[in-house]
Parts: sequence; C-alpha cells; structure tokens
Amino acid sequence: MTVLREEKYWDVLYQSAQGPAKRRNQDSSAVRVTSDGDLVFAVADGHGAPVHPRSHVGSRHAVEVFTASGIEFAVRARAAAGSGPGGFRRLWTDAHDRMPRELVLKWRRQVLGTDGESLGEQPRLYESLRPFGTTLIGVVLTDGLFAAWQLGDGDLVVVDDDGSLTQPLTPARPELGDDTESMCSRRAWQLMRVHCALPGDPGRLPRMVALSTDGLSNSFAERDGFVRFVRDVDRRITAEGPAAVDEALQGWLAQAGRYSGDDTTAVVARNRRTLPPHGGREEED
Amino acid sequence: MESRPVHFIWILDVSFSMSGEKIGTVNYAIREAIPEMRAVAHDQPSAQLMVRVLTFSATPRWHVATPVPVEQFTWQEVGVDGGTNLGDALKAVARELETPPMPRRALKPVLTLVSDGQPLDEDWREGLKAIDATPWGRKAVRVAIAIGGDADRSVLQEFLANPELPVLDANSPKQLAAAIRWASTAAVKAASQPVVSGDSGSGGKQLAPAYAPPQLDDDDDDDVW
Repeated sequence: MTVLREEKYWDVLYQSAQGPAKRRNQDSSAVRVTSDGDLVFAVADGHGAPVHPRSHVGSRHAVEVFTASGIEFAVRARAAAGSGPGGFRRLWTDAHDRMPRELVLKWRRQVLGTDGESLGEQPRLYESLRPFGTTLIGVVLTDGLFAAWQLGDGDLVVVDDDGSLTQPLTPARPELGDDTESMCSRRAWQLMRVHCALPGDPGRLPRMVALSTDGLSNSFAERDGFVRFVRDVDRRITAEGPAAVDEALQGWLAQAGRYSGDDTTAVVARNRRTLPPHGGREEED
Repeated sequence: MESRPVHFIWILDVSFSMSGEKIGTVNYAIREAIPEMRAVAHDQPSAQLMVRVLTFSATPRWHVATPVPVEQFTWQEVGVDGGTNLGDALKAVARELETPPMPRRALKPVLTLVSDGQPLDEDWREGLKAIDATPWGRKAVRVAIAIGGDADRSVLQEFLANPELPVLDANSPKQLAAAIRWASTAAVKAASQPVVSGDSGSGGKQLAPAYAPPQLDDDDDDDVW
C-alpha cells in the first residue's frame, strides 16, 4: 500500500514492495511526526539469509527503536537550539556518540527481550542477535536541524533547494556484493555513520530527503541510474505534485525488485515550504 | 535496470594424471550439470550467471575466456597435457578478479577448483595470495573438489581459506559427478546470499558458511580412484 502523509511541513511518501522470490518482506519502515512538526523516519532491511531467520522482526524493531529515540533527539535538538554554541556542540556529540550506542542497545533489548548485558560482549551475545540481523537508516528533521544515521547498506539521498544532490552517508568504498554491516555486528555502534547539519533556518533545510533499502539502488546497472531516478522523483513532485508520484511509486519499486531480486522500500520526504504554492503544478516558462 | 552478474569460474586440473576415466567424468559431469545451472539461474532472475573455464597443466589456458551467459554456455571437452602448475593458474584467475575487469556492481563470484594431484610449482601460494589480494577474490564463494587418493587435500583446503568449509572428496566417477553437480548449483545460490561483513555477528569468530557441501555417498560400486 502506498501511503502519502501531508504533514505540517513535509509531504511523506513511503512504500515497500516484496522481492519476487521472497516468502515475506523483510524490510520495514516507520514515519513519526511530533506536535512541533519535527519529522522522524527510518527504513531497515532484514538480511533474510538462512542464518538470519528473524530478520523481519529485527528490521521492525530497528525502525521502532529509531523513531522513539529520534523523537527524543528532536526534543534535545530544540533545547540545544536555544542554548547557544555550547548547545550545538553538545548536540553534535549527542548525535555521534550517544545516539548510535542508544540505538544499538535499545534494539538488542527489543529483539532479545533483555538488555543482553548478562551475555557481555561475548560470542554468545552475537549468536543470539544474529537471527535478527538488519540494517538501519534513519533521519530526524526539525526546524533547524537535519541529522541522519546509517548502519549497513541502503541509501540516503538529499536534494537541496538548488537541485544539487548529495549522499552524505555513503562510504568512500561501498561493500562489494551483498555483504553489509549490521545491527547484529560486534560493537555495532562503532560502525554507524552519522550526518548532522545545523542549518538553523528552516528555509535552508533540504528540499527532499529520500531513504531506500538497497533493493532499489541494486536494480540499476550503474550508480548514475539510481541518481537519475531520485532526480526524476524530485522533478516529478515539483511538476505534478506528491499525489501523482505517490500513485506511481508502488510500480517503480516493484519493477526495481524484479532486477535486484530484493525487497525494496523507500521513504521520500518532500519539504512543503519549497513546493509551488498551487499544489504542485509548476508554471511553464 | 539490470540484474547483477554472478561470475562462475571452473579451474580444472588437466595434468597427465587426470587422463582416462577422470577427465572423461569431468567432461561428462560438467556437460550434464549445465541444465541444472540454467535452472538455478532461471530461479534467480536477479542474478545473471556468467561462466568461464580455466584449465591448467604445465601452463594455464582459458578454455572459455569470455564470460558466457549460462543460457548460451555449451561444454567443449577438455583434454590432458603436462604437469600441475597451480600458481600460474590462480594468478590468471586473480587478474580476472581485479576491478576492472570485474565490475563493482556484482554478486560474489564462484571459484571451483578441481584437482587430482599436488602442485609441481613450489611457489603456488603466490597465486593464492594474488587472488586474496583482490577484493572480489576475498569475497568469492570457493569450492574445492579432490579427485582420488593422490589429491593434496591440504592445498585445496588452503584454497578454500575457511577451515569450516570441507574439501569435496570424489573417489569415484559417481562422487565426482555429484560434486560437480553440487558446485554448479548450490554454490551459485550461496553467491547471492547476504552476509554480515567482517568478523561481526559472532564476536570475532568467522561466520559459518552460508552453504554446506554435501556428504558424498561412498557406498559406491563404481571403480575407486
């Protein structure tokens, strides 16, 4: 089912298509909005291999943990915004040190039903976590902050107001094949990549932020193909409005899954403040 | 949009000791395994299975040099000649595992080594090091088939680079055919399984392989090598 949510400041499209040969969809996604209009969303890709038989549960817990912690982070971000440069420094440390550890430990607690501390950082702990193996990408957008976290594969793509496209969490040398880092990895918080931008002014927030599991980008023969796809989504939202793209998204993801063989999930947040005021139709020059 | 390739490379010992029934069974078994390889590829439309064949004796030779889609792959029989120089063969494979010519966007390659003897080149490990020095070589799904009692299993075990992966012992034509059939199908499936990278998931101990070679039936009335 395609879902379009019209939030205060953001249009949010999220959709998932099960891989054609999969018995179940091991991806998960979640979107939460606070009463202040802060947007928190995440996608997770359960590994799905025979050694990860509960990865669909792991991915669901990963996005739930992220949205809960992300909302708390958004509250801290708002408090930090009112406390000067020291507050921003603390927030940066929070994003890079506190959040990764908190996400991993909360996820462990959720999937094991215990904090796992009795197991220590020992092989037995990781044997217990392995069935739930999953990736995670999550985003927090407040009036003055854009922060994101990623563990494992998948894609975060940002389109700024001038149309420039960046992938702030993409590693310099991505893993080859289908190897990935995981929430079940040893000391997984150390593997989490973090992006934290403090534009201060809501008008300088990105025009679009898109998260997707690797089933989407793996379907393209070249990386450029994936980038063109994201640009096209952005362009079509501008030209036709989010509802039109919302209608088409299901088919695009299902088609991608036929080539990647994987579950494919995407969440697209489009900044309403940058849309043309007449509901999406762009004026012809 | 496009499926990702799985490069499957047969590395076949064609030294003189392979003459007679051994090379005959290899030729027969690979030819007979092709329909099963195609069936596996058909079941996994997200993977493009591409096949190559390297033979080695005194020197390595690409029997099928250009990757051929399995749907178009046909078996041309191989013959025997000369000694068993494994190192140069592995170096030839390593050159193909560099990026380029290997694309970065691909599934793990499958390397299947079939041999009945001991390497005559003392520095054969240089070839293995060359494979391990390539990113795709380190990630490759490796299968080793030891034909007969004279095969050096320690060499094949080193090739596998994982003590949890057993060498497949083929002591009769029937076992060899079963081993080749397994390598042609199960190993290809394993190549498209996601794996948690590094030492993760088990606190430093390498993860168990996502594929487990079969126990080959040794209750066999066939001749034993």
